[in-house]
Amino acid sequence: MNGKKNIPAGKRLLELVRNNAVPIMFIIICAIFIPMAGFSPSYLLNEIVTRMGRNLFLVLCLLFPIMAGMGLNFAMTLGAMGAEIAVILVADWQIWGIPGVVLAMILSIPFSALLGFICGTLQNMAKGREMITSYIINFFINGWYQLIVLYVMGAVIPIIHASIMLPRGYGIRNTVSLLNMRQCLDDLLAIRVAGVKIPVFTFLLVGLLCLFIVWFRRTKLGQDMRAVGQDMEVAKAAGINVDRTRIISVVMSTVCAGFGMVIYLQNIGNLPTYTGHAQIGMFCIAALLVGGASVEKAGIGNAFLGVILFHMMFIVAPGAGAFITGDSMVGEYFRVFLSYGVITLALIMYEAKKRMAKSKAGQELAAAQVKKEDA
Amino acid sequence: MKVKTRRVLFAFLLVLVLVAVAAAMMVIGRGHTVYFDNKTLEDYQGQTYKAFEKVVVTVKDEQVAKLAKRDRGMSIWIGQNFKMILEVTREKGGEAEIHEIDLKLPYSVDGIVINLPALLAELPEEAWFSEFVPAVTEEPAEEVPGEGDDFGLGLEGELGLEDGLGDI
Repeated sequence: MNGKKNIPAGKRLLELVRNNAVPIMFIIICAIFIPMAGFSPSYLLNEIVTRMGRNLFLVLCLLFPIMAGMGLNFAMTLGAMGAEIAVILVADWQIWGIPGVVLAMILSIPFSALLGFICGTLQNMAKGREMITSYIINFFINGWYQLIVLYVMGAVIPIIHASIMLPRGYGIRNTVSLLNMRQCLDDLLAIRVAGVKIPVFTFLLVGLLCLFIVWFRRTKLGQDMRAVGQDMEVAKAAGINVDRTRIISVVMSTVCAGFGMVIYLQNIGNLPTYTGHAQIGMFCIAALLVGGASVEKAGIGNAFLGVILFHMMFIVAPGAGAFITGDSMVGEYFRVFLSYGVITLALIMYEAKKRMAKSKAGQELAAAQVKKEDA
Repeated sequence: MKVKTRRVLFAFLLVLVLVAVAAAMMVIGRGHTVYFDNKTLEDYQGQTYKAFEKVVVTVKDEQVAKLAKRDRGMSIWIGQNFKMILEVTREKGGEAEIHEIDLKLPYSVDGIVINLPALLAELPEEAWFSEFVPAVTEEPAEEVPGEGDDFGLGLEGELGLEDGLGDI
């Protein structure tokens, strides 16, 4: 405490800016873009609230692997794939409305858990390179997903309804309509405040997940996960089964991602069979990083702030692009470029910070040794 | 009880509960499309049941169809216990009668066509119930997803500029 007080205010401010560079950058971008886009505050608020309900659950599921020191889980996409298979089956069985959503969530659990287990096991074989491993596992499992959806469904797994099947008699169409479960969760207990629709039930689900995360951190398993995240060797020496703990964190993340994907799809009202999951991981990770999270530290607050800022940018960028260049397509490119850019920037900043801390510690050690020798 | 046994028991119970909930959802969430026909049923056991002048169909407090002679309306319904209120005007200028109808929909049928004159004449189910079979139309060959260049690269997928981008 005293140490902090001794640091000059200017330096402290600089440190604060350095630690929150990404959210500050996004706040500035949004502040510039909002007037350019020319949207009314109620429209912006409506869009932000809708997107929060749609995406928060997915973003929050990234917190478990970060807790276990496995970085950003690009493999959350696997949970999304599990959910998509469940949603296709539910759509074929014609289970509509909230029962359809609940059934899709339950059905997604075995798929997501199995894929999460495979991913966690593979990540344990590549300790220290978890993020790139999970990213590549995505492509590997995506190949299997395409094979199942394109060739196995309809041919081996019975699909009854022609409306979701390709005309050749097997394989699933590019888009599956979920019209009969569209926004059924969002409309449940929904209220309107000054023209803004608040999906209360969806927010309740998000709130439940937040409470679960807070509670989970205090449990034995949660403490183990944090210990593993801080130092695997120390955790191992303390008797924690490191590999098992890491697998559990990935399984929890993919299962929650499966639930999140069902919430996402019911909001959208259709399933883009072959592309629905592809961008989910990337955009959720970008949103979390925009909220000020890093590869090794992230909280619920980061998820909320990230979703608000990232989606605010997504809403206003096309309008701002059209305002600047006269072509809204530029805004489309701009927001894609920004979302990938922010991931790159956050990863570089994390690595630079880690190196700086390492060199500072080295310098301090060297200085202490010199002092000792002088004495 | 040992911790391990308790854990296995808990997991087993959890799976059981989830299976039970899933089974319940499959029953209560089964969706049907119900079509209402206000059409004359001709020559059923030697009798003709004429279409009504006007029928107003209300499902879940919402007016879903207003049918003149030879019209067809539709409504979607979740579950097997279908309820509707019919406001029937039999002849031009006649009084409207209100009928509250409760029907049990078969689980396995997606689209159900109900002939209203036959239903209100209290004829057996075979007279007023039929399954809706969508007309089979020749569809143009659809491009198989994923076919393209060897690596699946392309402006759409890779840049995330597919249709749904605005909806992330």
